[in-house]
Amino acid sequence: MNRALGLTGLILALGGSLLAISVILTGLKRSRPELMRMGRAYSFVVLLGATMAVAAMERAFIQRDYTLKYVAEHGSSTTPALFNVASMWSALEGSILLWGLILAGYLVVVAHKFRKRLDDSLVAWALITMFSVCVFFFGLMLTAANPFRGNIPIPGFDGPGPNPLLQNHILMAFHPPMLYLGYVGFTVPFAFAIAALVTGRVGEGWLVETRRWTLFAWGFLTAGIILGAWWSYEVLGWGGYWGWDPVENASLLPWLTGTAYLHSVMVQERRGMLRVWNLSLLCATFSLTILGTFLTRSGVVASVHAFSAGSVGPILLGFFALVVAVSVGLIGLRGDQLRSVGHIDSPLSREGAFLANNVVFAALAFVVLLGTVFPLVIEATTGDTLSVGPPYFSRMTMPLGLTLLLLMAIAPVLPWRKASGELLRERLWWPAWTGLAAVLLAVLLGATGVAPLLAFGLGGFAAGSALRQIALATKRLGWRGFVGRTNGGMVVHLGVIVIGVALAASMSFMSQGEFTLKEGETARVAGHTLQFLSSRTVDQPNRVELLARIKVDGEQVYEPKLNRYRQSGQTIPTPSVKASLRDDIMMSITTAPSESDPSLGLRVIVQPMVTWLWIGGLIMVIGTVLSLFPGRRRNPLDAVSAAAPIEQVSA
Amino acid sequence: MNKRHTQRQKWWWWSLMGVILVVLLVSAAGTSPTEGNSDDRLFAIAAQIKCVQCVGESVAGSAAPIAIQFRSEIASQMNQGRTNDEILNFFADRYEGVLLTPPSTGVGSLVWVIPVIAIAGAALLLAESLRVRRSRGPVQQPSPEDEALVEVALEARHSETSVTSTDTTDDP
Repeated sequence: MNRALGLTGLILALGGSLLAISVILTGLKRSRPELMRMGRAYSFVVLLGATMAVAAMERAFIQRDYTLKYVAEHGSSTTPALFNVASMWSALEGSILLWGLILAGYLVVVAHKFRKRLDDSLVAWALITMFSVCVFFFGLMLTAANPFRGNIPIPGFDGPGPNPLLQNHILMAFHPPMLYLGYVGFTVPFAFAIAALVTGRVGEGWLVETRRWTLFAWGFLTAGIILGAWWSYEVLGWGGYWGWDPVENASLLPWLTGTAYLHSVMVQERRGMLRVWNLSLLCATFSLTILGTFLTRSGVVASVHAFSAGSVGPILLGFFALVVAVSVGLIGLRGDQLRSVGHIDSPLSREGAFLANNVVFAALAFVVLLGTVFPLVIEATTGDTLSVGPPYFSRMTMPLGLTLLLLMAIAPVLPWRKASGELLRERLWWPAWTGLAAVLLAVLLGATGVAPLLAFGLGGFAAGSALRQIALATKRLGWRGFVGRTNGGMVVHLGVIVIGVALAASMSFMSQGEFTLKEGETARVAGHTLQFLSSRTVDQPNRVELLARIKVDGEQVYEPKLNRYRQSGQTIPTPSVKASLRDDIMMSITTAPSESDPSLGLRVIVQPMVTWLWIGGLIMVIGTVLSLFPGRRRNPLDAVSAAAPIEQVSA
Repeated sequence: MNKRHTQRQKWWWWSLMGVILVVLLVSAAGTSPTEGNSDDRLFAIAAQIKCVQCVGESVAGSAAPIAIQFRSEIASQMNQGRTNDEILNFFADRYEGVLLTPPSTGVGSLVWVIPVIAIAGAALLLAESLRVRRSRGPVQQPSPEDEALVEVALEARHSETSVTSTDTTDDP
């Protein structure tokens, strides 16, 4: 039943997409607007199909319908309800199903939003592009990554449940959907970019149409990445929130190019420059989401030899190559129309700073991509095994990150076209002192090391610039000084700065220790005392928990756990964290007390400022929401570089 | 520019800022532990070694038995007074590709070299293209018709509204 329902949904979605493409194409070819307008109806068909498939899958998980292979492999009667629902996206096929549902959702919203312009060739081509992406994903689900493969369960069979790590924390229910809302959301600006290239309407029109869509997708991607970091911090128990794991890198890559685009698009809107570059960034962002899915879902990263295990990998890689080829081909075809109308007058200008920003973001994306695929390339060409791990990424990205902080300090005060040294000295006065004060404060608090101190100083400098912009805007516009792209963007900058400072502090000033404690004994780390009081075991339906009671600093008691999962036999610690704005104390059990040895193995990690990472993430999301509101628009008749009115210069 | 802001233009204020910054940075320059047998040094070394039986975890981050065994090996070598490099080489000789820092020699060193060359190349190209564009001057000169159009539009705008619409992206 579930299987039939799911497959019907997938076929409906695939068929709807294929029909939509041919109908819209026919409409375009024969100039029949009534055919082009049918795209909206077809988008509802695709969404209906995708919803049916997802509903069937969830129903199968809830009913523990083991006639589905996917449920038999990832479901279990003992999985708690919430994680049971989240089990759908705990493995390859189900996560592609989630991808399909979100894609269909975006498709319907686009078709609805542009319902009055469906016979406009730009919108028609954008819909064709989106339907084509639908064809790929629903086609993939009906072939290589079919979530509805059948299974004949033996009587009394019970599945193993999802990977124990994935049923350990509530964030697992929210992090993947958020991330996918971001990933998939970039399909919309990509579709419009392709449409602009196909129709030859490569001016600034399509940019303005998709501005908010891009920001929306970017906001979800940001939230998804930060929730992912939070999840790994809370669950993995080694004090880390970012391991430069290929899966994490795959989510960071489109974020980097997307962020570069959000900045460079302003140069194009304002000065008509960087057209090819912006199109390339959007195409790169979309293709990197596909490449990321390929890298993380095909098993290619864990080992090159896992490549032949499934056919999903080659198909995704093929689609990636197709997207890249189409994008490059179209950009080449329209090359003559993409020549910019303006040019940069001076590197020391707003557009010059955006250009520098783009160089740094492109460099970051390049380093992350290179580091991720390098071991594969080396193994494939020379047969050598080597690892490119966190030490590499930290060393390479640190100078680039510091450069970004410096740019965030200077760029917001730069005018368009040209700035003078006099102007910079005037506007950077307070931001510079703020930066210096930040370094002084850090030194007084006992911070050492040039790199973290530079991060604090540049963070203060950049925060000064962002606050200056917000202060000036609110002084002039009241509460409206917080909304709009520029001011909301400054709030996002503040969030980034908070995260940057928290990263520098938590990575540079981490202290840790491993202890073997008998009941009543005390361990000391970084000025904190931890006393092991007692331990007990609790039986849960799917696991046995061992809880240790740890008294921290003579006050509250925390209970880190060690879970042994019955089905898989795996032992997974659930760390306990005493979080505060100053520092986090993470306790994780390494060995459980037993009859023969009653002592507890406890790992303790103390890191300053980790909580500020999540606060910074929240500020970034708030800033993104503020940016989505329309701000005060400049008069379209003003010259692109019009100076502010004279009477306000000395305000 | 407001008169009360003239001190902002004085070079010695900015030099003072620079001097204070350098003094602070030099006075607080720290080093990571390279000797002794502190847990901090242990985990700093362990973070550079891959946990060979885990996926994507370092010896510092993993709770696997092999990682615990590696950590005790590192601890005993630290107690023997061996340097960080000696300890890392000990593991590198026994397990292929176990170091998370790619090598600085051989084919593997390309991962360090390529980004540096690429970034420097991109920056040079960009600087060159900016220079060429600037020397070429404005791309198009407005024709008299264009200027007339602009006149009409500005005219229309000034008569149409008295609200001063200012741009939020520019500073007052």
